[in-house]
Amino acid sequence: MFYGNQVSNLISGRLLIKFILSGILLLSLSVSAEEASKESPDYKQSIGNYVVPDVSVVRLDGEKLSFIKELDDGRPVIMNFIFASCSAICPMLSHVFSKVQDQVVKKGQKFHLVSISIDPENDTPAKLTKYALKFEAGSNWDFYTGTIESSLAIQKAFNVYRGDKMNHSSVILMRAAPGKSWFRLDGFMSPDQIVREYSHLKEL
Amino acid sequence: MKKRLHWLLMLGLSISGNMITNDILASKYWQFANIRPFYDGLRIQFHQENYMILQISLFLKTSLGLSRLSKRNCLLVLALVIESFVVYADPVATNNTEIEKGRRIYLEGVLSSGTPLQGQRGETEHLEGMAAACETCHRRSGMGSLEGNIVVPPISGRFLFATEENRPIALVDYRAAKNLTRAHAAYTDASLARAIREGINVSDSPLSPLMPRYDLDDADIKAVTAYLKTLSSDLPAGVGEDSLRFATIVTPGVDVKKKDVMIAMMRTAFSQRNNTQQTYSGRMRMPIDLIPRTLRNWQLSVWELQGKPETWGAQLAEKYRQEPVFAVISGVSNTTWAPVHAFCEQEKLPCVMPSIALPPAAADFYSMYYSRGVVLEADVLAKYLRDQGKKTPVRLLQVYQEDEVGLGASQSLIAALRDSGIKVENYVLNSQTGSKLSKQLKSLSKNDAVMFWLQPEELTKAFKAAPKKLAVPAFMSGSLAEENYSVVSKSLKSSMQVVYPYELGEKRKKNLSVLKDWLKSWSLPLVDEAFQSEVFFDLLFLTDMTSQMLDNLYPDYMLERAEDMLSVGSNVSVYPHLSMSRGQRFASKGAYIAGFSKDGSLKANSGWIVPW
Repeated sequence: MFYGNQVSNLISGRLLIKFILSGILLLSLSVSAEEASKESPDYKQSIGNYVVPDVSVVRLDGEKLSFIKELDDGRPVIMNFIFASCSAICPMLSHVFSKVQDQVVKKGQKFHLVSISIDPENDTPAKLTKYALKFEAGSNWDFYTGTIESSLAIQKAFNVYRGDKMNHSSVILMRAAPGKSWFRLDGFMSPDQIVREYSHLKEL
Repeated sequence: MKKRLHWLLMLGLSISGNMITNDILASKYWQFANIRPFYDGLRIQFHQENYMILQISLFLKTSLGLSRLSKRNCLLVLALVIESFVVYADPVATNNTEIEKGRRIYLEGVLSSGTPLQGQRGETEHLEGMAAACETCHRRSGMGSLEGNIVVPPISGRFLFATEENRPIALVDYRAAKNLTRAHAAYTDASLARAIREGINVSDSPLSPLMPRYDLDDADIKAVTAYLKTLSSDLPAGVGEDSLRFATIVTPGVDVKKKDVMIAMMRTAFSQRNNTQQTYSGRMRMPIDLIPRTLRNWQLSVWELQGKPETWGAQLAEKYRQEPVFAVISGVSNTTWAPVHAFCEQEKLPCVMPSIALPPAAADFYSMYYSRGVVLEADVLAKYLRDQGKKTPVRLLQVYQEDEVGLGASQSLIAALRDSGIKVENYVLNSQTGSKLSKQLKSLSKNDAVMFWLQPEELTKAFKAAPKKLAVPAFMSGSLAEENYSVVSKSLKSSMQVVYPYELGEKRKKNLSVLKDWLKSWSLPLVDEAFQSEVFFDLLFLTDMTSQMLDNLYPDYMLERAEDMLSVGSNVSVYPHLSMSRGQRFASKGAYIAGFSKDGSLKANSGWIVPW
């Protein structure tokens, strides 16, 4: 079904313009990527038109919510995928989010940090709350869990599903507003790099 | 002459007796007449102070020329050895404190001063204490891990300090070329210190940006180095030159049919595996299969326990002493498992996923379980009842037998329903059950519900006493019923639901088809589908784990591999999903509420409930 949506989107002229625009943007971003590559050669940018799946998720406060509505609340979104018992990658991703949070708050920009659990049966709201506390997550940073099916649907829709949670990789997705394209970063980025990419986001 | 020096050295080292552990004395290096491997062997095992003595001897050996070593020179060596011993008074004790200090830094992130370990990752990330501990990424065994495309390499001494030629191989998936072992020159104590402090490896290149830099003082660096040298170094008992021994455990009172089929399945799988592992089996082989020591013969010990649970610990210790095993695989109990759990923890013995109803509540390191058993079922039922809205019962009667499992289950349900507004009443099934239970069940009214925590024999008793039809929602434990639903009469089935921790329907059929084919091809009976699926999965999982472990047969590594591997690959178990991770010890985390369809088979009345 999601593929169907994407195909019909592809045919629409609106998307074609989007594609050209994003192409130009990618070119301009690649300049900043070159700057960035001095710090870390390890990350790749791309633009994606992902269809957000209509599933329900459970926020760390236990509230069951529509995932689409959570993403479409008006704030620009910066999203990653984590699980609480992950040892090497996730603590680093979460640390980076924590620094991004501090920097964006300082700049006074609107934002919504979204962390999706890829081990939802184990990551209870209570465990995520504890995890959030560890990384000093503020009111603009939410963690979501839910059923295995909903977590899988989200991972697949954003092309981050790699067969198993131990196979996951470091991906950050950003979107300026509902209906806009997603800007995708694959690899390891410093908080500064993410904040820099985030300030370019509204041009998308 | 060579031989004489060798004996002399042995004598010298024996005099400084407490420098040499029994392991080293027993080690195979003593059997070589040639002294060269003797030195090499000891150099690996000894730590700085200890092998300083050997360095002196080695210096004498090379500078004076071995063949021309006179009696006097030999005596000089001996004198030096003894002298060194006097200078380095009790180095073993010093070394042990050092190793212990290193262990705390590695596992707990606590420095020898007692303050938290500090690490710096990248420019912004400061790590402290547990978050900075080596174990976080390199794991307890030091064997490292693989997350996505991030390789966390093994850092135990036998990897770090080995040269290319003698470094063992560690890998995770040979088809994907996800190799944990990295090619590098042998580390020295100094180059390791630089790597830890400055993040520069032995080849002068920067380490992964994920590896923090640590500001450790000389004493702490020495401590960590000493710990790494001992970490995952000696193969445990149960690992022989050509054999690998496992045990399975049966507690008293287990249905003979279940016990027999479990043992038969395990023996069949072991001999099937051993026969195909022979070098000339004719089977197409992966090149990796040919790495020496992956062909060890599997052996099985069956440990049948007797008498009261209080005595099991001593029985297990005696069996383990007589026949040491590498790990306990599967096992079955319809009562407590706590003494086995405690034994595995104490002996640091991996105990992988037995078929039991009531695992201990505490998740320790060495035991892994399919689920939390009846405790999970209690939590699932409580969540289901709480979420019923207006239909949530006011009173719940639970019927159980006064044994470990019955008490564990009923107490868990009471705890799970605390503050729910549902009043829980207990009915303990005993030999006089009959009219009394019948009266209790008949007295249930509109806003009540009943839960049966009973194993097959007791279920039959209870349902004989039950009225023909129950006017209230009734539930029974799926894991305790062991698929014996014939004891539920047709009229009773209309109001009965099962708290069912296994998969249902077509997906179950598909997942279990491999087991059924396997049983058929080896003419093994199907006694209890869910139970046998657990045993079967254990055997397949063991094959996967050992093939990934190669010669790195360390208990901690086995559990880490299990944590990382469990959810990989196709699911041939009776559970919808099995998954673990660092620190997780219960693989399946939910259950269905299932009802009986017209043909008597089970169908899910709820989604998969994970009780948070």
